[in-house]
Amino acid sequence: MKSREQEYKEIFIAEALEYYDALNRHISVLEKNPQDDQALAETFRLLHNLKANAKAIGYLQISDVSHKLETAFSLIRSKELSFSQEVVAVLFDGIDLLGDLITNIDNDTYGEPDPVLMRNLDIIVDSLSDSTIELAKVQKYNTAKSLSLSDLIYIPIKKLDHMLNLVGELMIDRDRIISLSRELDNDELKNVSSHLYRITEDLQYSVMGARLVNIGSLFNKFPRIVRDIAIAENKEVNLVLEGQDIQIDRNILQIITDSLLHLVRNAVNHGIESAAERVKKGKPSTGQLSLIARNDRDNVIITLEDDGKGIDLKQVRDAAIERKLIMPDVAKALPDTEMLSFLFEPGFSLAKEVTEFSGRGVGLDVVKNAIDSMGGRISINSVKGKGTTFILQLPTSIAVKGALLFEVDNIFYAIPLIHTEQVVAITTDELHEVGEVMVADIKGETVTVVYLHELLNAEEADMRLGDKSKLKGQIQNIIVVSYNNRKLGLIVDKLYRQQDIVIKPLSKPLDTIDLYGGVTLLGTGKVCLVLDVPAITRFFITRR
Amino acid sequence: MKKILIVDDSFYMRTMLKNMLTDAGYEVVGEAPNGQTALELAKTTNPDLITLDVILPDNTGLDVLKGIKADQPDMKVVIVSAVGQEVIVNEAIEFGALAYIVKPFSEEKVLEVVSKALAE
Repeated sequence: MKSREQEYKEIFIAEALEYYDALNRHISVLEKNPQDDQALAETFRLLHNLKANAKAIGYLQISDVSHKLETAFSLIRSKELSFSQEVVAVLFDGIDLLGDLITNIDNDTYGEPDPVLMRNLDIIVDSLSDSTIELAKVQKYNTAKSLSLSDLIYIPIKKLDHMLNLVGELMIDRDRIISLSRELDNDELKNVSSHLYRITEDLQYSVMGARLVNIGSLFNKFPRIVRDIAIAENKEVNLVLEGQDIQIDRNILQIITDSLLHLVRNAVNHGIESAAERVKKGKPSTGQLSLIARNDRDNVIITLEDDGKGIDLKQVRDAAIERKLIMPDVAKALPDTEMLSFLFEPGFSLAKEVTEFSGRGVGLDVVKNAIDSMGGRISINSVKGKGTTFILQLPTSIAVKGALLFEVDNIFYAIPLIHTEQVVAITTDELHEVGEVMVADIKGETVTVVYLHELLNAEEADMRLGDKSKLKGQIQNIIVVSYNNRKLGLIVDKLYRQQDIVIKPLSKPLDTIDLYGGVTLLGTGKVCLVLDVPAITRFFITRR
Repeated sequence: MKKILIVDDSFYMRTMLKNMLTDAGYEVVGEAPNGQTALELAKTTNPDLITLDVILPDNTGLDVLKGIKADQPDMKVVIVSAVGQEVIVNEAIEFGALAYIVKPFSEEKVLEVVSKALAE
């Protein structure tokens, strides 16, 4: 962890070098056109900032030289000092000196600034009227000055994508080598492989770290957007942003950009009421919209909350029944959160009967697909009259994900941790056959439970997921997964461990099997299939 | 939590101010590097107080102050300036700024001025 002093110093130097480059640009303009007021104002401002910043952090030479130059430029501005050739030469020297001082902040052997130059600056600043003749020629200490380049570089994201892919491949091979070294029981190989482990881990975090950007780079665009929509809609909206400095993979941020824009637009367009309507309801006239990011273990949670009119559950229920997405008697018993998840069904709200909140629903399935595509989660809470909250749970990195490993019928499987809620063991007696599925009471909640052995192995025609007699043993290990506000229990044969895995997409023709989201190689060299929780959950919703 | 908007063209200054204010329990709702953004954020983030640098790339701090006050007459504004800007500071006070902080500032000074201004 960087200390705050270190962080301040880095920021100071980066900004100071930026100022230095800009100063050189402006003074070159001024040399040709001393009347350029804008260049003059900018030069003055940059020197002013440099002086204040340097003084704050304690680089007194820099603040002293900046101060002298600032004074010189303010004299030029007020026409008390003419922009003569001699003066220009001194100013150029002064700015060069600033550059030297900035680049040598960490160089203890860097000596004092050239006294002749300092005296020249004093002469100009003290404005000894036309005594600029006194200006002595400064011995250029380094005429063949080396060019200094910025410490920051821009890298096309494609290059970083490629690096991350390579790291992924490397991790798979690494795990294989570690496993082999154990099998061979060769101490030297074990030592090398444990070193390899540490290095690849470092490399993995470095590459992942290089891809991180502040979430603020997206969030900070919203005040303007919200303001514009609010004005167009004649509404009063107060947007609160939080957690702008939370970091996230740049590609993930890219993927959620449109989704977040969509959700924010919806919130202002359809969520928050007009001032008059709000006052009538006894709410403050200004609607509150908050966009908050925070870290939660390895994930980033983004919450978008409005205090608008909320969603009418009854309308959602009626529409879901009308569209035959759910049986009326089942709909009655369905918890509110599960009912709301119908809003994410493709084209759900396009139906005429729900036009009143159609804007809410249009495209929510698109938003959901975008979040699913990177292995994230989205959920919605809403109270009619009170407001709506969207919660986006996003992985920090795309390629490497924490996963839970387990076995079914001697084959290894993995489920990304982002979808797992809990792991429980219950007795077979606690499972109940209900229609074509089994259900169990898990911590006070009725959850549909699936015997993976049957789901993954039985022919579709013979598949009997509601048949308890197929279960082996008395104790069943269940992984509870959750997707789109719905929970599902998966009965597995054997639970293993949590592990970071690199998920590779399945290649043709396997890529059409939508129960699997990808594949990974374990250190033992065994193939491990990664279950696609969204797909499995959808499969069961259609069956119920 | 009291909300504060920071207006300063230097990232370094903004970072320092933000850390000081956040550590003291204030919520920094926005950071503006120029006058245009400052005016926008003053409206959209609706802060309880604004710290305003007097020299900005696009406007003078005074113009920004006038702009804010024209729109939100009760907005609390504290001027942050370097030594040598006394004339502007005096003018700013005339235009309704509550107080001023001189750069380089100490954490104590910033918090003292801000809490006093918020209490007014």
